[in-house]
Parts: sequence; C-alpha cells; structure tokens
Amino acid sequence: MSSSRDDFGIAFRSALLQRGAAQKFSLFSLITIAIIIFFLDSFDFKFMKPIRSLINDGIYRASLVASSPSRYIPEITGNVSELFSLKKENEKLKKELEIYKQKELNVKYLTNQNRNLKKILESEDTILEENIVISKVLIDKNSPYLNSIIINRGSKAGILKGMPVMDKDYLVGRIVETNFLSSRVLLLNDLNSRVPVTFGKEGVQAILKGNGSTRPILEYLPDEYIIEEDIEVFTSGKDGIFYAGAPIGTTTIEGEVKLFSEPGQLSFVKIDLSNF
Amino acid sequence: MNYFKSTIKIVNFGPLALLYYLSISELDTYFENYFEILSFNIQLIIIYFWSLKRPEVLGNGHVFFAGIINDVVVGLPLGMSSLSYLVVSLVSTYVKNMTVNTSITTDWFTFFIAIFFSNLTFLILMNNFSNIEISLLDMSYNTFFTLIFFPFFWFIFNMYNSVIIIGKNV
Repeated sequence: MSSSRDDFGIAFRSALLQRGAAQKFSLFSLITIAIIIFFLDSFDFKFMKPIRSLINDGIYRASLVASSPSRYIPEITGNVSELFSLKKENEKLKKELEIYKQKELNVKYLTNQNRNLKKILESEDTILEENIVISKVLIDKNSPYLNSIIINRGSKAGILKGMPVMDKDYLVGRIVETNFLSSRVLLLNDLNSRVPVTFGKEGVQAILKGNGSTRPILEYLPDEYIIEEDIEVFTSGKDGIFYAGAPIGTTTIEGEVKLFSEPGQLSFVKIDLSNF
Repeated sequence: MNYFKSTIKIVNFGPLALLYYLSISELDTYFENYFEILSFNIQLIIIYFWSLKRPEVLGNGHVFFAGIINDVVVGLPLGMSSLSYLVVSLVSTYVKNMTVNTSITTDWFTFFIAIFFSNLTFLILMNNFSNIEISLLDMSYNTFFTLIFFPFFWFIFNMYNSVIIIGKNV
C-alpha cells in the first residue's frame, strides 16, 4: 500500500518537475506563472491594463493574418465557379451599367435643382453629423462559452467600454473591452449579455438575456404575460447605456427574440459615441 | 539530403503548428449551424496525445503560450486556458511515467481523467475569480464530444506519429 503511494508521489513529482532535452520548462514553473498571470489579470491591476492592451492588439493582428486563408479559400472556390457564368454576367452588367448611367444623370440633375431651390429659400447647407464610428470585424471566433467579436477600432478612435454597437440600424451588442487599436464586442446572444427592452403597444418592459444560442430570451416579463409572435423589440434605454428605440428583433412564441442582425454574419459594425 | 532533413523538421513541427493555428485563427470546432450542441476542444486532444506519445514534439512552453493566445482570442482572463492545457499535460506526463504499454482504451480512459481535472480547474477559477458566466450544460456537451471524438483523432495522430518515426529512423 505504502509502496504504491510512493510510486504515485515519485511519478507525480517527476511529471511536475522534470526537465530534459525535450522540455525547457518544468510544468510546475509554468503552472505557477499561469496562476500569477491569471490573478494579475482577474483582479485588474493598473499596470496590467496597458500590457493586456498591447498583447491583445498584437495577437488580434496576428490572428487576422492567420485567419485569412480560411476566409479567402471559400471566396477563391466561389470565383472558379463564377468563371463559367462570366459571359452571361458580363452582358447583364453592361445592361445594368447603362441603367446606372441614366440614374447618375438624373441624380446630377436633381442635385443641381436642389441647390438652386436652397438658394431660393436662402437656407444654409447643413450636414447632419452623426457621432458614429464605422468599424470592420477582425475576428469572429465562435466559442461554446462566449459569443463576442473583435473590431478594428479602439480607444484611439474614441471607443469606450459600454458603447452600443449596431449593424445597420440594429443593435448587435456592446463594447466590453477596449485596446488602443481594437475592441471586443459582447454580442446580444452571449450568456453574459443583459439589455433592457420594450415591445408591443402597451410598452411592456423586459430584460433581453443572452443564452448562448442564436436567439436570446426575454426575462422579467409582467406576471402571466403571454407573448405574441412577431412583435418588434426595441431597447428601452432604462439602463442609461443604450439609447431608447434601437430595433433588436421580433418576438417568438417561445419567449425568445429572433434578432434582425444575425450575430454570425457581421462584417462591418457602427459604434455610436454620442451618449458618452 | 538537406532537403530531406528540412522535410523531416517540418513534419515534426506539424502538431505544434496545428495547436498554434487552432489557438490563433478564427477556425473553431463549434458546429452550431449543423448541430446546436456539437462542439469539441481539439486543442486538448492534441496536447494530451503528443505529450503522452512524443513530448519532444510539443514543449510545455509552447502549450503555455498557445493557452495565452487562446485566452486573448476567445476573451477569457489571461492564463485560464494555459492552466487547463497544462493540467492536461501534467496528467499525460504522469500517465507516461506510470505506464509502459498503452492502447487506445487506456489512452481514452486516462484522457477522460485529464479533461475532468482540466475542466475542474477551469470551473473553479471561472466561478470564484471571474465575472464571466458560462453555461455548465454547454461545457458538458463540449467535454462529452471531445471525449467521443478522441479515438478518431487518436488514429489520425498515431498515423502521423509513425510518419515522424519513419523519418527519424532513416
């Protein structure tokens, strides 16, 4: 009995401490380093913020390069099949081009007419400046635990933690981590996402909670409330982070929300800086 | 001859390259579009198999760095995946020290012990020291499918391992 315990001890110690020609570091030293790094990062020590930011920016860029084959291979194979229908497509495009040329002439005519009418009204040319940053999705790695994306705009572009992120006019998530050149967006379907929402003619208030699947669920509904299908869900703005009235999706009979913007299909997103 | 030597070096580098590539790239083993609960952790299989069969192919330092990269890409606290991976590596090194001849069944069983301890470490750290909420059900599915797919990868990696040995014997 004691000899088998000794064997266990020797084998375990050897596994932890052994270093040979094959291993430059012992498992014990690496586990200790990993634990130290984990606690430094988890407890948000001030000096860790720039280090983490630097590591994140570097690895996100490297990840973008490493992911490019998996992005371009489907495109290349698609291009080969497109080659066969090139002639037909060329003719179709020529016809479309003619139509667009006609439309361009119309636009020029209307622009001139618009300017002349403004001169008549003596109005000033005002441009509505929206405080919006457009950003490209760098990494969209699915994980069974977390649903988030990395975008190519960070604190340099004025992005702050908590800002709402839109796809066209639809809310898709919020910023949860900012680096100098990149940010992480927590998507609405992530388990950690909570958004106050409102829907229906009565303005029912609820919390939209991510559940890891493609359709987040509505929680904290009024007692005995029966959800109808296909009612549009909007942000209520009750948390003071998301502005009120941003469309999110439509209700389903199971109490879930079918999102207008599919989380796995994002290429470009908009970040609204105006509320911050 | 030099060309042959460099080819052998590239072949030896294969498992390590695959581990780094899976950690850093967008490529994932989460097939929710095909089957909602289907996901598995191929990194754990790579680490376990190669630490057990040919530790010289997969250094502990590389396992640690692959974990750090995975944490950054996935968005977990730094060191979390490294610890999970190193626990798998620890179990496989222990099994290697304790056993002489192994078969697919013994490897499969000991792999179950390795992912059990790896996930236990992951859960303890997540629940006690992180605000990130994870679904235990999703984690169970992931563990289950990782275990189910182990024999399939075992055969593939075993064939690859024999290729490396042939290269070295020549």
